[in-house]
Amino acid sequence: MLASDIFKLAFKALRDRKLRSFLTILGIMIGSAIILALIASSSGLSAGVQGQVSKIGANTLTVSSARQFFGGGGGSTQGYQLSQQDVSTIKSFQGVSDVIPYYSQRATISYGGNSIEGELIGLDTSALSTMYKGLSLYSGSMPDPYDPSAAAVGYSIAFPTGSSDQLTLNQMISITLGGSTGGSLTFLVKGVFSEYGSVLFSNIDDTIFISLQSAQILLKTQYFSGLYVMTNSAGDVTTVQQKIENYYGTQVRVMNAGSMVSSVESITSQLTVFLGSIGAVSLFVAAVGITNTMFVSVMERTREIGILKALGYKPKQIMAMFLSEAVLSGVVGAVGGTILGYVLSFILGGSLSMFGGFGMGGGPPGQARSTSASSTTFTPVFTPELIAFSLLFPIGIAVLAGLYPAWRASRMNAVVALKYE
Amino acid sequence: MGLQPDTRPAVQTIDITKVYRVGHIDYPALKGVSLKIAKGELVSVVGPSGSGKSTFLNLIGALDPPTSGRVIIGGTDLKKLNEDGLALIRNLRIGFVYQSFNLIRRLTSIENVEMPLIARAVPEEARRSRSLKMLSAVGLAQKANKRPTELSGGEQQRVAIARALVTEPALVLGDEPTGNVDSKTTQEVLNYIIQVNKTLGTTFILVTHNPDVASMTHRVITFKDGLIEKEQYIQRIDSYTGP
Repeated sequence: MLASDIFKLAFKALRDRKLRSFLTILGIMIGSAIILALIASSSGLSAGVQGQVSKIGANTLTVSSARQFFGGGGGSTQGYQLSQQDVSTIKSFQGVSDVIPYYSQRATISYGGNSIEGELIGLDTSALSTMYKGLSLYSGSMPDPYDPSAAAVGYSIAFPTGSSDQLTLNQMISITLGGSTGGSLTFLVKGVFSEYGSVLFSNIDDTIFISLQSAQILLKTQYFSGLYVMTNSAGDVTTVQQKIENYYGTQVRVMNAGSMVSSVESITSQLTVFLGSIGAVSLFVAAVGITNTMFVSVMERTREIGILKALGYKPKQIMAMFLSEAVLSGVVGAVGGTILGYVLSFILGGSLSMFGGFGMGGGPPGQARSTSASSTTFTPVFTPELIAFSLLFPIGIAVLAGLYPAWRASRMNAVVALKYE
Repeated sequence: MGLQPDTRPAVQTIDITKVYRVGHIDYPALKGVSLKIAKGELVSVVGPSGSGKSTFLNLIGALDPPTSGRVIIGGTDLKKLNEDGLALIRNLRIGFVYQSFNLIRRLTSIENVEMPLIARAVPEEARRSRSLKMLSAVGLAQKANKRPTELSGGEQQRVAIARALVTEPALVLGDEPTGNVDSKTTQEVLNYIIQVNKTLGTTFILVTHNPDVASMTHRVITFKDGLIEKEQYIQRIDSYTGP
């Protein structure tokens, strides 16, 4: 019996019971799609996080108030507040080359007809190129760190998509703070950065940088959102982190690039295991569905099996005919599931990116976390191995599920089968 | 020295019995049947319901093994064959025609006729042309792409006959092949069987309740209570013109 004939007959049998075949295939598709989307998304997220962390370099630590790390709000008196005193203290630790305090807050930037949601970061603007590796100016110059009205903006702020109004150098912009702070100030744009992307879960393209002093006035606080601590070398990072933790105890949260990556990876891997089990369960349910459909099919076609036996079909040929129906369902389900999973991974990517909100201490004390969830984006990773797995695994499951019913069909007694009504 | 003609019988049974067991009770369907049917014979098997006719047909059709005794088809002892060997005998040497036609409903007439050829891996083009030729022979070429549900009972039976003969088997077994068709179709079916029997020398064994059908065969074997009650040879017929 030719393989092409086996599959043609299987196709006709599946077509004969369209709805049942469709539902069985749908089950396989959903299971396969979920698994593919999860693996691709979590790989993409991990790769994205590693890429972002690499932009700040391996010799950088961030220090933030422990209360702020997980986005807790609360009154201004709660939690440890980082001040200029802490900058001096940490600067005195051996192995530390520099400490850069910063303010961070969600804000609305208005100019012309545009009103753009973005991130306001106040810091010593002369340290920008040291902090963000590869950050370059698209036009203008770095704002003078002592000029209270100077600002530099990310590419997306200057050239917002879908708007004809574009920012020009020395144009006045108005910054209104989000949250309860609610202050508003006017700045002059001195520089526009080239496209840079995300770093540590903040999208630099959506960020406006002002001087530390201006941020202090705007936010009406002397306490910093966090500190960047630069060590002499990457080898000093662990020692310095240890020293800061020993000094401050649990009052502050100290993170280095590696721990940020492992934090995110730990979350994504837990998420992958959780959602992956849902995918596996749905694939298992699909397998049970295939077995059930096949059993019903074998029972309904008992007489047909008797006819095939009378016509001289060997048991293994009958088994191959029924098994190929399961294989065909598996193939269609796997291909459909891979396409669906591909689309789903991008949708899921959007949902998973909210977990990118970890890592940077944000906002002044008493404020909610300011880092934008939507500012962190990543691309799902599809390796050839993953695609192969996504195609072959559901087919394997379908074959296993169809094996026993197909075997039962092949072992049926011809005389009994021919008498079946 | 030339080849000797094959004088082995088309079917030979040696003291075959068949006992069905339901629960703890044995039901003997055949109680020791021995006979020989020569190549090219047209034989009818008659008898009341439960006399063992269909069981006999299943045993010589290699569909069911006897409880004891031997079935020899064209010189091959079926006892010596495994499942695959029995399937091969059915495919190569035996054609079946049933009262209820036993066509596969989702397949067209030509696809049904092709089925025995698919089992032996005949390429699509060759089997299509053979099947179409067979359908033409039974007068159904124009209905090759119709499904069984679109055909009358008589037409379905003719498709079933085409399917049984497409492999050019030496032996055709009919289990009441005219039981579900009207008298006109009965006449057409029998005439075709007689024609194939005469021209190709195909051996036919027809189980029937219809004494008029039986009277048109070479030999009538009457079963009763699982045994052959009598055998009656009748004059060779040329065509069946109905009762």
